[in-house]
Amino acid sequence: MAKRATLLLIAFIFILVSFLPVLTLLIKSLFPHGNFFIGNYVVLFQSSRTWILLWNSLSFAVVTTVLALFLGVPMGILFSKTNLPFKGLFTLLFTIPFIVPSYMIAVGWFYALVPQGFLARILGTQVSEIMLHSFFGFRGAVLVMTSVLLPVVVILTMTYLGLVDPRLEEAARLSSGWILTLRKISLPIISPGVFLAGLLVFTLTLGEFGVPSFLRYSVFPVEAFTQFSAFYNFDAAIGAAVPLGIITLFIVIIERFFLRKKNFELMETIGKEARIPIELNQWKPWILILVIIFALVLVIVPLAGLIIKSSSLATFQKTFKNSMDSIFRSLMYASIGATLLTFFGFFIGYLLERKVFRFAWAIDSVTFFLFALPGTVIGIGLIGMWNHPTTNFIYSSAAVIILGYAAQYAALGERMMAATYAQIPYSMEEVAQITGVGWFRRLSGIVAPMANRGLITTWLVGFLFCLKDVGVTMMIYPPGHDTLPVRIFTLMANSPEETIATLCLLMLGIAFLPLGALGIIFKKSRFKSSC
Amino acid sequence: MPKKYLKIIIFFTTACVFSSVSTTYARTNEVVVYVSEDQVFSEPILKDFEKETGVKVKALYDTEEAKSTGVMNRLLAEKNNPQGDVYWANEPIRAVVLKQKGISAAYFSPNAKDIPSPFKDPEGYWTGFSARVRVFVANQERAAFTSICDYTDEKWENKAVMANPLFGTTTSWVAALFTVWGDEKAKAFMSLLKQNGVKISTSNGESTTLVVNKQFLFALVDSDDATNAVRSGKGVQQIYPDQEEGGLGSLILPNAAILIKGGKNPENAQRLIDYLLSPETERKLAFADCAQIPLHPGVQTPPDVKKIEKIRSMKVDYEAVAKKLQEIQSYLKGWVGH
Repeated sequence: MAKRATLLLIAFIFILVSFLPVLTLLIKSLFPHGNFFIGNYVVLFQSSRTWILLWNSLSFAVVTTVLALFLGVPMGILFSKTNLPFKGLFTLLFTIPFIVPSYMIAVGWFYALVPQGFLARILGTQVSEIMLHSFFGFRGAVLVMTSVLLPVVVILTMTYLGLVDPRLEEAARLSSGWILTLRKISLPIISPGVFLAGLLVFTLTLGEFGVPSFLRYSVFPVEAFTQFSAFYNFDAAIGAAVPLGIITLFIVIIERFFLRKKNFELMETIGKEARIPIELNQWKPWILILVIIFALVLVIVPLAGLIIKSSSLATFQKTFKNSMDSIFRSLMYASIGATLLTFFGFFIGYLLERKVFRFAWAIDSVTFFLFALPGTVIGIGLIGMWNHPTTNFIYSSAAVIILGYAAQYAALGERMMAATYAQIPYSMEEVAQITGVGWFRRLSGIVAPMANRGLITTWLVGFLFCLKDVGVTMMIYPPGHDTLPVRIFTLMANSPEETIATLCLLMLGIAFLPLGALGIIFKKSRFKSSC
Repeated sequence: MPKKYLKIIIFFTTACVFSSVSTTYARTNEVVVYVSEDQVFSEPILKDFEKETGVKVKALYDTEEAKSTGVMNRLLAEKNNPQGDVYWANEPIRAVVLKQKGISAAYFSPNAKDIPSPFKDPEGYWTGFSARVRVFVANQERAAFTSICDYTDEKWENKAVMANPLFGTTTSWVAALFTVWGDEKAKAFMSLLKQNGVKISTSNGESTTLVVNKQFLFALVDSDDATNAVRSGKGVQQIYPDQEEGGLGSLILPNAAILIKGGKNPENAQRLIDYLLSPETERKLAFADCAQIPLHPGVQTPPDVKKIEKIRSMKVDYEAVAKKLQEIQSYLKGWVGH
């Protein structure tokens, strides 16, 4: 009884604070003057601009996904299964663009390509001018988002390859080479993981605001922000969100009916045995050079663009001093946001994994829907919901930002905790239950300690996503509550390039905190298990 | 309970306590300001105000992407639940819109008395300070541009650029032309712009870059964009258009300080407005990279910032421009093809 009541209450609170604002937004758009009216939508879909935006958004997401998969899957194989040198270093290097707000990579490229930039000096002004010209728009946006989301594919490929039973590969190796083994055994087994990676890249690209906005590429999330912020056209802003909502629903359906079942099939094949690395032999130097080239293009060039611009120590000190409040707020709000995400994840993940209610899948779908929805749209929903004198204590405080984080990223916490619970045998809870131990004691005495690592990882991943958020925070931050990514964004107009580059590096520095902590946790746990 | 969880909870609780303590402290002596002026220029002024008065400033800044109207639209959205005390607009047209919508309140600052009357609202709903001017940024080797009508001269077909008239100061400039010339002449001018292949950029900043990079010969931009380009030695010059005797003049767009109706800190709001309207603030903004033109007489300026009395200004009624701006929105959307 306590279990069902608690989980029901928490699910209800989550729906209330996270999904209701978006739902209200949609309902409001259907009843613009109190009566049901779909005229706005008819006009919306008759407008050629809607179709242009739809084409732009879809082509942006599709091309980025294809490129990220094309590069990420081989890299994942190289970093997890081969004897390529510096694998750990490469994995870390390729992860950097993912841990910072994505527009920072665009800024880095821009600073490298401008006439005074280091790339312009190396390649010559004419070449860099042509590159800069092509950079603004579709090509630049795809390049940046590919480097930002490539680690999602690489890490998921590595993770899923780690789950493949090595005995299957070894059996195949008796009669064939590694290429055939990978093609016929490993890759088919990890295909749901690759598909999931592709889906995540597609979803995150579709909802991306920062990069297309910086690179002046018109897509729906930017349109929603502009319609609301520049024109104060609520209907048009919602209109821009509707096609995305429809695409998002499709993604949820695909994910629910195709992917989830396959994931669980894969989980059953976990093998713990030692793996034999793939020997690259004479290909090793060539592959190493190729990986270095990709690292240069996707990571080192934009980072160098930022580092070279921010070379003055005086600028660094001044910028740090002026931005201390924003840095502190970023860390604080990300901490609170991550705690809330872990809290929701702890209970909703349990609800999902243990299938406490029949409607658990619905809550899961809601969290994934919100994750896929652009932050700008969630922001508009939150403004509509909380901007009233009676709820001003939320609207005028950091609480509105935290609720935005909870809505946008709840899926992360919930899915990660569900995966953690999947590793904890339910029989342990059942034994305690038979001996008369109540649910709360089972939760605190058995489940929580066993989910220890999962909880901390969820918190750190939640922290990272909240820390780098731009879409939600930009829409709703109350006066005096700007975070560092928002500060960089608002300062960008007419600020000296050195200042922006320095701020971006500061952001990179604080984003390394959770990554470092994650590294320590996994190192410790690996050490423990080896003992 | 494991120690790790305890640590997390302690951190979380500490963070919450920090947050609430700082909020409570700030609430005792604060002012909330919404700012459309670029943060890089406005923030130092607000920091100086904090230092000099001890009043904590909580600011909400605009972004380039919101085309400098984002915070104004937040003010509109918050009409029944006002959060701001002061609005620092980067041009007076938005100030007039807020007056028309009943968002602002009247306040006659003692520091406004020396500001020329065309740049302040007679009823005290907004007061201008530190202006920008719509000027040409032009290739240094081709100094032939003297009038905005050069945009329609066949000689310069496909060689000129201007920012999107749906946004920012370019909208105000087009609306000003409609009020000065009348609808018919203004629409004819806009058609000629199209016929002559005037390129539309996303912002004044981009227009300046396109001229600096020699992709176009000239562009009408804000004086801060042009002054910065000239100062950085990029081979361009700044030209005030239509300065001849009896000419149209250049459109002057001062910043505007506005008191928000129903704000929670009216006294501090008035102190901040007084501070913004002081000659000292105008001096700082003139010497900053935004190179804005002081409206108070006798304020010291750098040599490349023209005195307001030396500029032939376009004679406009900002109230009429604001009204026209709202009227021509759909025409402009059609013109741009949005």
